[in-house]
Amino acid sequence: MSSAIEKGVDGKHPTNETDQVRELDHDEYDPIGTAILVGIYFLILVALWIFMYFVEFLGNGPTVTGVLLTVVGLA
Amino acid sequence: MAMRNAYIDQFPKEARVIRAILWSSFLALTIGGTLGLIQGLHRTNVLRFIPSQDYYTVLTAHGVLLVITFTIFFLVGIFTWAVTTSLDRGVKDIRFTWGWYAIMMIGTLLVGVSILGGVVDQIPMNADVLYTFYSPFQAHPAFYVGFVLFVVGTWLAGFDWFRTWWAWKKDNPDERIPLPTFMALTTMLFWYLSSIGVAISILAFLLPWSLGIIDSVNPLLTRTLFWFFGHPVVYFWLMPAYMLWYTMLPKLSGGKLFSDPLARVVFVLFLILSTPVGIHHQYLDPGIAEGFKFIAMTNTMFLLLPSLLTAFTVVASMEHGARQRGGKGYLSWLKALPWRDPAFTGMALAGLMFAAGGFSGMINAGLSINYLVHNSWWVVGHFHLTVGTAAALTFMAASYWFIPQLTGKEIWNRSLGLVQVVLWFIGMTFMSNAMHRAGLFGMPRRTAEPQYQGFDFEPAVGTVAEIDAQVALGAALLTLSVYLFITNMVLTTIGGSTSDAIPDNTYAGTLSGPEDAPVIIDNLKLWTSIAVVLVIIAYSLPLASIIDAGGLFGPGIDPWKPSVVADPSLVLESVRGVMP
Ligand code: HEM
Ligand SMILES: [Cu+2]
Repeated sequence: MSSAIEKGVDGKHPTNETDQVRELDHDEYDPIGTAILVGIYFLILVALWIFMYFVEFLGNGPTVTGVLLTVVGLA
Repeated sequence: MAMRNAYIDQFPKEARVIRAILWSSFLALTIGGTLGLIQGLHRTNVLRFIPSQDYYTVLTAHGVLLVITFTIFFLVGIFTWAVTTSLDRGVKDIRFTWGWYAIMMIGTLLVGVSILGGVVDQIPMNADVLYTFYSPFQAHPAFYVGFVLFVVGTWLAGFDWFRTWWAWKKDNPDERIPLPTFMALTTMLFWYLSSIGVAISILAFLLPWSLGIIDSVNPLLTRTLFWFFGHPVVYFWLMPAYMLWYTMLPKLSGGKLFSDPLARVVFVLFLILSTPVGIHHQYLDPGIAEGFKFIAMTNTMFLLLPSLLTAFTVVASMEHGARQRGGKGYLSWLKALPWRDPAFTGMALAGLMFAAGGFSGMINAGLSINYLVHNSWWVVGHFHLTVGTAAALTFMAASYWFIPQLTGKEIWNRSLGLVQVVLWFIGMTFMSNAMHRAGLFGMPRRTAEPQYQGFDFEPAVGTVAEIDAQVALGAALLTLSVYLFITNMVLTTIGGSTSDAIPDNTYAGTLSGPEDAPVIIDNLKLWTSIAVVLVIIAYSLPLASIIDAGGLFGPGIDPWKPSVVADPSLVLESVRGVMP
């Protein structure tokens, strides 16, 4: 492997950039906080989509989506 | 004290080129940012000191300098770092590296001077064509030649990295491609594929037309060829930012990259899907059938996937770092992150703004809802979050780590760096949210004076004056932020003293490494072929029907040079046209 990969606290090249206090390996680590943040982001997206519904369809007249006839180009 | 092992110690020759490249990038940022302030103040009528005709020269320069010069110079610099660092070997021939940098510089100068001609009478050129250079806007041939040279320079840069990798592969036949190199190579592959579009558009049509060799062009054809390149270019801006988020953010957070295989999948998806989506910029172009637009929309929605994967992987890596630094709880680990480090904080804030840009991007991508925001200021608000922050703020933030690596000097003032990245975030919050809202009530982009007689915009919430104030304030904060950045960089480079405390040149380790990724992921030929096939499927019919309907060289349309003093009779006519 490339020598430029950072080794962490117990590796050969400790970096003086971080203040690690422990080493968590793949199996010990459970990204629960990330799941929560992703969930929050998802809820914000849904809320904004609902908001866009009001902007698009109630704020202005319908643009593309109209009654069936305009969609198929008959009116 | 162990021996210092920064990039400049490992690769002194490469460090010199990269320094030159990054300085070209920073210079473009400084000029471009200043022009942004002029625009923000002019449009909102807070301060108008240029004639409105010159607005379009300024806007062209702002667009070109920031999204072509600043971003792409930074990319080639950082990719050179990434390839040499991760392969642990220098480029094959440093003269070749200087060579492509010189070609890119010559291209930039030609483009820059031809744009400058729009406001300087002594330069008999003009190129007020905005960065999309749609015909019938016509620029001086130097603009097109310069643009092509710049792109050719990037092609050679890619070749430089490929052959460094080929040489490495000979010595390491059984090893997986190191992740940063993998990212640089996949990015270059879709860049080669997509920049063919703009090369054809310029070399076959726009340049001969501006030289007077052919009489006219088919505007829809050159536009479509532009967007063939124009969407992938947005990923070209983003990929170096993604690379930094994957390889530097975890490390700066004190952790490891959550998954190397997932990162590879993301870059493969970008290679495959970046190009066959360009028509989503043309939802409102007459002359392209709705069905083709629908295909472009479908591909675009798939393209959300790699960005959402990135959000997950990168945040999970940051959380890993926070927990290794002692962070606890469901969300209180966030406090354990190194928020005093401008490199970390800038990149994290850039990622946060990108999440917001993700929302407005989803609106842009919808075929029907796009009608609501098309060509409005919403779009400008959107891409100041994406390229203008996700990429730009990441690049500035990363510089607080890279410039010490490249110069061997400590950053002149790290606290000022922290102020700078936060100031960008605040300024962009003002400017971008106001632009989005202005777009919703129909305020157009690319307009020097969006104030009309006998017509008032009707915001659903707030007032136009309040929105203008937010834009002007935001623009001022952003420009101040650019100046703080450049001051810090200049003083670091010329004033700072060499330090032994520069950290080693390393990038993040992984929790799940490349050995967990199937070998097929590294098969670049396979993914490139799939990308080519998808492009053929997405583009052959639309291009054929555009040529069939409008002709290869179009119906005769006279070139339009906006900077030339407007013909009074024309003005009168257009005024009459809009009068009730
Ligand atoms: C100091 C920071 C900045 C300020 C104050 C600023 C301001 C503006 C304003 C007001 C416009 C709208 C012009 C109009 O629609 O009439 C604009 C357009 C634009 N900006 Fe920025 N901007 C800044 C930074 C950036 C950055 C960092 C990027 C990209 C890396 C960028 C890329 C663009 C592009 C591509 C356009 C559109 C050009 C066109 O329509 O042809 N800007 N900017
Ligand atoms: Cu796009």
